[in-house]
Amino acid sequence: MLKMNHLSKVYRTEVVETYALRDFNIDVKEGEFVAVTGPSGSGKTTFLTIAGLLETFSGGEYHLDGIEVSQLNDNARSKIRNEKIGFIFQAFNLIPDLNVYDNIEVPLRYRGMKGAERKQRIMDSLERVGLSSRAKHYPAELSGGQQQRVAIARALAGSPRLLLADEPTGNLDTQMARGVLELIEDIHRDGATIVMVTHDPELAARAQRNVHIIDGQVVDLSEEPRFHAHAGEAAQGQTL
Amino acid sequence: MAIRSTEIRPILASLRKHRIPALLIVLEIALACAVLCNAVFMISQRVSDIQLPSAIDQQGLVTVSLRGTDDKLVGSDIPRNLAALRGIAGVQQAAVTTSLPLSHNNWGWSFGVSPDSAVANRKNINVSLYFLGEGGGKALGLHVLQGRFFNADEFAGSKFDTAALPETHVVVMTRTAASRFWPGQSALGKTIYSKPFYYTVVGVVDDVLRPNVYTQNTSKSYDAIYFPMSAAGSKGAFSYYILRGAPKDRDRIMREAEQKLAELNPGAVAKGKIYMDIRNDYFADMRSMAWMLVLVCAVMLAVTAFGIVGLTSFWVGQRRRQIGIRRAVGATRGQILGYFRTENFLLSTAGVLIGMLLAFGINLYLMQHYEMSRMPWYYLPAGAVTLWLLGQLAVLGPALRAASVPPVEATRSV
Ligand SMILES: Nc1ncnc2c1ncn2[C@@H]1O[C@H](COP(=O)(O)OP(=O)(O)O)[C@@H](O)[C@H]1O
Ligand SMILES: [Mg+2]
Repeated sequence: MLKMNHLSKVYRTEVVETYALRDFNIDVKEGEFVAVTGPSGSGKTTFLTIAGLLETFSGGEYHLDGIEVSQLNDNARSKIRNEKIGFIFQAFNLIPDLNVYDNIEVPLRYRGMKGAERKQRIMDSLERVGLSSRAKHYPAELSGGQQQRVAIARALAGSPRLLLADEPTGNLDTQMARGVLELIEDIHRDGATIVMVTHDPELAARAQRNVHIIDGQVVDLSEEPRFHAHAGEAAQGQTL
Repeated sequence: MAIRSTEIRPILASLRKHRIPALLIVLEIALACAVLCNAVFMISQRVSDIQLPSAIDQQGLVTVSLRGTDDKLVGSDIPRNLAALRGIAGVQQAAVTTSLPLSHNNWGWSFGVSPDSAVANRKNINVSLYFLGEGGGKALGLHVLQGRFFNADEFAGSKFDTAALPETHVVVMTRTAASRFWPGQSALGKTIYSKPFYYTVVGVVDDVLRPNVYTQNTSKSYDAIYFPMSAAGSKGAFSYYILRGAPKDRDRIMREAEQKLAELNPGAVAKGKIYMDIRNDYFADMRSMAWMLVLVCAVMLAVTAFGIVGLTSFWVGQRRRQIGIRRAVGATRGQILGYFRTENFLLSTAGVLIGMLLAFGINLYLMQHYEMSRMPWYYLPAGAVTLWLLGQLAVLGPALRAASVPPVEATRSV
């Protein structure tokens, strides 16, 4: 489903070059649920934005669903984001000017879907996240947990083959986080491939597979010494 | 393609959250539309006034006024002066006249069509009188439509006695004057009266403007009649020598005519003027008024365009994150561009709808208070389309900037 080979991503500013990802390799199979962990600044979000075609990469290869994505133009990338990928962000990323119903409708309209089908899908997905009664509410009138469920409903309504979640519970308390994770597991059971970035080991443990990123590279957890050395550095960095 | 009907409902929903700035833009567009319609209408009226046709050889005419001559000697001076003027290279015709179209030098009188019409009769028709010396018809370049112009005897036999009207019984009038005296009938052979004077129409000429025109009712501006007049009997009424030549010669002819008349008439002052300058002077105020209105339109459109650019740029800046989110969930650049263009189209539509009503209202007000005429209906849709296009043009820059917001903007934390 998602396969990256020797992929690199460089952020260039006038003074520095930052390798957010280097020699990055990953292979996520169709229907898999992968949790991505790693210290802050290790490149998790960068990986997810490239995986979700929100950003281009500097070198290497990325095949999404068998397609080499560096060949695609902007419109084709938009179409894939719209039809195949669902996003869930830490900051919910709803449109504040639109109510819950209209927010969920946004990607469906871009897909050119007919009104009746849009309505059906919106009502179904709202029901699945338990917010049927909040269709006319604006994001600012909802709690964080509810907003994240609206974001999940927005992803759900498009029936994505791939769901990308970047610390979806990062802004939520444990109770709400549990609800959100259950919804994600639900979507996984329906057959979607899930890649979820999290710093919470408990959540990561519920995925089928964990991928750990340090300094922009996937680390094999079986290479104990190297992993410990990096983990130690990261820990030190945080205490300073 | 660019205006997306499928986007209208969510755009309206989103605008509801930004009522005040949206309303301001709508009102600005409405005001611009209203002002534009009325100003352009006024400009078009001024322009058509400025361009009022007048069937004389306006381009080829040169005039010279001669002041300070002895009125008792005009009988011999005028023929002598004209003979000298005809000697100037390039002069095809030369004559004298009491007045010229648009010269402000008006001699008005009123006549009726029945023998008992006196000058004060209320049914009489007011006309401007032009008295021409021999050759005056050819010198002006009048177009005879019916009948004939005056013959030599008629010129020689016409003179002023003690009254303001001449001792002659023939007259030539413009087509408009003729149809005003005798609507639907030929004027030839008919007589106009102002007791005890009466004049029979021997010819009808194409419309020539009066010395003063009525810009609100242009047909009245053509009520003019021509009398023959002898030099000897003119009592100094001839104010202008008129010379006709090729337009390219007119500056030189004017200078030479001025010189010649000054030489022949020591002690008198000869002042030459190209006829087109007389005409242009007449409309100078109207012309500057029209230009001022053009300026008002330009300023109004510029202010509106900048208003749209400013507000849309502000909105694009404010909505960068939301644009990123839209891109992330699958909007193409074209769809983002379409969003802002459609939004502008909706605001413009509301604006021009109000604007057309306002334009209509302003026109009604001006009609009641300032003798404005009714604006033709098509000014309203024309104004609306202009503002629509202006809006689309103004929104293009900010909308392209919006379309270039990368999808990754969605993930940048605020
Ligand atoms: N737009 C950017 N410009 C420059 N550097 C960036 C940009 N985005 C991320 N980085 C850098 O790339 C590295 C990885 O960032 P990120 O992927 O956000 O890490 P994580 O999500 O694991 O915390 C960091 O060093 C970060 O500073
Ligand atoms: Mg991150």
